[in-house]
Amino acid sequence: MEIDLYYYIYLVLKYFFLFYGFCLIALYFFAILLSNRSVNRNKRKARFLQVNDIVSATDIPSITLIAPAFNEGRTIVENVKSLLSLQYPFYDLIIVNDGSTDNTLELLIDKYDLEPFDSTFITQPIPTSTVNKIYRSRKLQYRQLTVIDKNNGGKSDANNAGINFAATELVLCTDADCIIEQDALLKMVRPYLEEFDQEIVACGAAIGIINDSIVKNGVVEKLRLPDRLIPMIQVVEYIRAFLLGRMAWSEINGVMLVSGAFGLYARNRMIEVNGFNIHTVGEDLELGIRLRKHMEEIKVPYKMVYLPETLCWTEAPNSIDVLIKQRDRWARGLWETMRLHKDLFFNRKYRDMGLFYYPYWMFFELGAPIVEFVGFLSLIVFTILGLINWNIAILLFTSVYLLGCIFSTISIFIYVKNFKHYSTGKEVVELLLAAYLEPFIYHPILVLGQVQGYYKKIFGVKSGWGNMDRKGFQALPKEKQ
Amino acid sequence: MEAEILKLLIKFLLLVLLITFGSIAYTMLYRKWRTRRLKLIENSFANICSLYLYPKPNEKPNLIEIQRELKAVGIVPSKPRNVQYLIDLMIRTQRSILGVNYIKLKTLFTQIPPYGASASKLNNKKWYIKARGIREIYEMDQSQYTRELIRLRNNKNIYVRREAQIGIVIFLGWKSLRFLPYLKRQMTLWQQIKIVEKLNDLYPVPDLKHLRRAYNSDRPYANELIMRIIRKFHLTEDVAYIIQFIDNPKFETREAAIYCISSFLLSDEQLVEIKEKFKNINNTEQQLLLLKYIQRISSEIDLSFYKDLLYNGNDIIKLSTADILWNNGFKEEVQDYYYHQYTQNADSESISV
Repeated sequence: MEIDLYYYIYLVLKYFFLFYGFCLIALYFFAILLSNRSVNRNKRKARFLQVNDIVSATDIPSITLIAPAFNEGRTIVENVKSLLSLQYPFYDLIIVNDGSTDNTLELLIDKYDLEPFDSTFITQPIPTSTVNKIYRSRKLQYRQLTVIDKNNGGKSDANNAGINFAATELVLCTDADCIIEQDALLKMVRPYLEEFDQEIVACGAAIGIINDSIVKNGVVEKLRLPDRLIPMIQVVEYIRAFLLGRMAWSEINGVMLVSGAFGLYARNRMIEVNGFNIHTVGEDLELGIRLRKHMEEIKVPYKMVYLPETLCWTEAPNSIDVLIKQRDRWARGLWETMRLHKDLFFNRKYRDMGLFYYPYWMFFELGAPIVEFVGFLSLIVFTILGLINWNIAILLFTSVYLLGCIFSTISIFIYVKNFKHYSTGKEVVELLLAAYLEPFIYHPILVLGQVQGYYKKIFGVKSGWGNMDRKGFQALPKEKQ
Repeated sequence: MEAEILKLLIKFLLLVLLITFGSIAYTMLYRKWRTRRLKLIENSFANICSLYLYPKPNEKPNLIEIQRELKAVGIVPSKPRNVQYLIDLMIRTQRSILGVNYIKLKTLFTQIPPYGASASKLNNKKWYIKARGIREIYEMDQSQYTRELIRLRNNKNIYVRREAQIGIVIFLGWKSLRFLPYLKRQMTLWQQIKIVEKLNDLYPVPDLKHLRRAYNSDRPYANELIMRIIRKFHLTEDVAYIIQFIDNPKFETREAAIYCISSFLLSDEQLVEIKEKFKNINNTEQQLLLLKYIQRISSEIDLSFYKDLLYNGNDIIKLSTADILWNNGFKEEVQDYYYHQYTQNADSESISV
C-alpha cells in the first residue's frame, strides 16, 4: 500500500517535471526565433539612425547619468573620469555618495575640485534619506559633474536622490563601478527619438563581463575572457540572458526587467511612480513592473525596449562565495517583487502583462529553482526507494543536457555573427567549453544561491545586499603572451 | 520503447549541435575571408580615386581600365554585396571631399559601375533596401530622383518615408516646406531633428516665405518642426509662433515650445504673455522649466508674479519660487511667507485642539 503511494507520487512528479521541462524548452525555442528577429531588425534600423548623425544634433533629449557610490574609494576617481568622457552632446553626471564610510567623498572633492553649493530650496519629489550637501566642480571641464552627499539609504534611495536632483528628460541609472561604452548614450537614446505612437518608458542594453580585461582611463582597452571558470561561465550566461531572453521579450514588448546596472528611464514617469522601491533588493525588476502597471493604469501606449549591443561592462563575481551571495540577493529580490505585485497574476486589466508576462516570471523565473531543487530531492528519495529506471534517466539527462548545450551554442552563434567582441577561434572555443561545463559546475551553485534566498524569505531570515567584493579595474592584469 | 525514442532524440540533438558548430565555424571563416576581400576592394578604389584626382603627368584617366580593375576585384552585378560595399565607399569618399575634387569624383562615379544601382532599389519590396536606396541617392547628390522621393514621402514604412523626407529637404531646401507640414503620417522627433539639421547645414539662409506659409498647418508634428526651425535659425521676429504653443494641451507640443522658447530673449509684452500662459500649464516639471526661463530672461524680478506663485502654487513651485526670491534679494518676502505658513498651521492646530 505504502509502495503504491510512493509510486503514485513518483508518477505525478515525473509527469509534472516532463510537462514543466517541455514548456520551458518550447519557450526557449520560441525565444531563439524572436531574438533572432529582434537582433536583425535592430541591425537594419541602426543603419538609418547612425550615432554620427545624433552626435551633431542639437534638439536631442538631455540625459542625466546617476551613479550611486558606496565605499568605492578604490575605483571612484577612475570611474568618474570614464563616466565624464562619454560621447553625448548634453549630459550631466550625478554621483550619489550614499553615506560611504571610506574616503570616496574626499577623493572626489580633491580630484574634481568640488565645492558645496546652496541647496536650501532643492525640490525632492521622491522622499529620500537626508541629503547633507551638494557639490559642484570649480573646474570648467567638470561642469557637468554634481556630487550629492547623503546619509546611507541603499542603492535605490541613492538613485532616487539623483532622480530628484536631475533636470533632464531622461535619466540613466548605472553603478559607479560600471564601464560604459563611449557611444552608449547615443545608442540608448535612439528608441526615444524614433518612437511616435508609443512612449518609451525604459530602455536597457546588454551588459558584458570585464574581469581580467584591460581598462585604461576608464575605457576598455582590450577585452579578454576571464581567466577563471566561474566568471567565464557568467560571460556565456549573460550572452544567453541578454541576447536570447531580453531581446525576445523586447520583440513582443514584454520586457519587465531593465537591469539596475544600466537602464535609461523617462524622468517624469519615474517621479510619477515615486522612483525605486527602497524596501526591496530587486529594485530594478520591481521598478520595471511598477512603471508598466502605471502606464497600463493611465492607459498611455508604452514600450520598454532592449538593445542587443553590449554597452556597459561590469565585474562579475570571481569566487563561489560572492556568486552565491549575489544570486541569493537576486532571488530575494525576485521573491519580494513577485509578492508585491501578486495582483497582476492572470489579471486581465493589465492585458499581456497580467495574462502572460507576470505568470511566466512566476512559473519559470521564480519557480525554476524550486522545481530543480525538488527534482534533485526526488531523485535521491526515489533512488533510495528503487523507483528510478537508470537507463531511461541517463538518456533523459543526456537529452536535456544536449538541449542546454544547443541553447548556449545558438546564443554564442548569434553573438559571434553579430558582434565582434569575442572573435578569435580560441575565445569561441573557450566560451563553448564554459557553456558545456556550466550544468555540472556552475548551475548547482546558482540553484543553491537561489534556494538560500527563498529560504531566507520563507523563514524571515534578515539579510541585506551583502558585500560584493570586487578587484577593481585599476590593477591591470599581467599581459598574456 | 522509451529508451529507443530517447536515443533517437539524442542523435537528433547531436546533429543539431554539430550544425550549430558548423555555422559558428563557417561564420568565422567567412568573416575572415570577407574582410580580406573588402580590403582588396577598398585598396583598388582608393587607388582609382587618387589616380583620377591626381593623375600622373601627361596621363589621362582611362575609364575602361578603371572598369576592368573594379571587375577584377569582384564589382559585378552577380555580387551585390561587393557592389553595395563599393557604393558605401563612394559615399564615404564623397562625404570627406569638398570643392573641385568633389565635382570630379561625382563625375567619376557616374561613369563607373554600378549604374543606377541606388535608383533601382526604390522599386524593391523590402523596406530596408528601399530606404537604403533613398539614402544613397541623397548622400550621392543624385537630385534627378527628387520626384521619386516626393512620391515616397508618405510611405507606410517609417524608415522609407523618413529617408524620403530627408532627401526632399536636401534637394529642395526651404521649398520642401511646401510638403513637409502636410504629411499624412506622424513625424518622429528624429525626423524633425534631421530635417532641421539638414536645412541648417545646406541652406543656412532662411527662406521666410516658405516657412511662414507652413504656419497654417494644424498638425502637431508640423507645429513642433516649425518651432525647432525658428529656434535653430534664431528667428526672433517669429517667436510669437512658439509662444502660442506654450500652454498647448498636448504634452509633446508644450515640451517642444518650452524647449524652443528658452533660446530667445523676449520683449516685456511677450514676457507678460508667457506669465499668463504659465498658469494654464498642468505639468509641474514643465512649469518649473518655464519658471527658470522666466527668471533667467527677466531684467528685474516681477514681485507680484512670484508672490502669487509663492502663496498659490503647488509645493514644488513654491519652493522654486522661494529659491528665486531668496537668491535675488527678496529674503524678507520668503521669510514672511514661511512665517505666515507657520502661524496659519499653529492657528489651525489650536482650533483642532
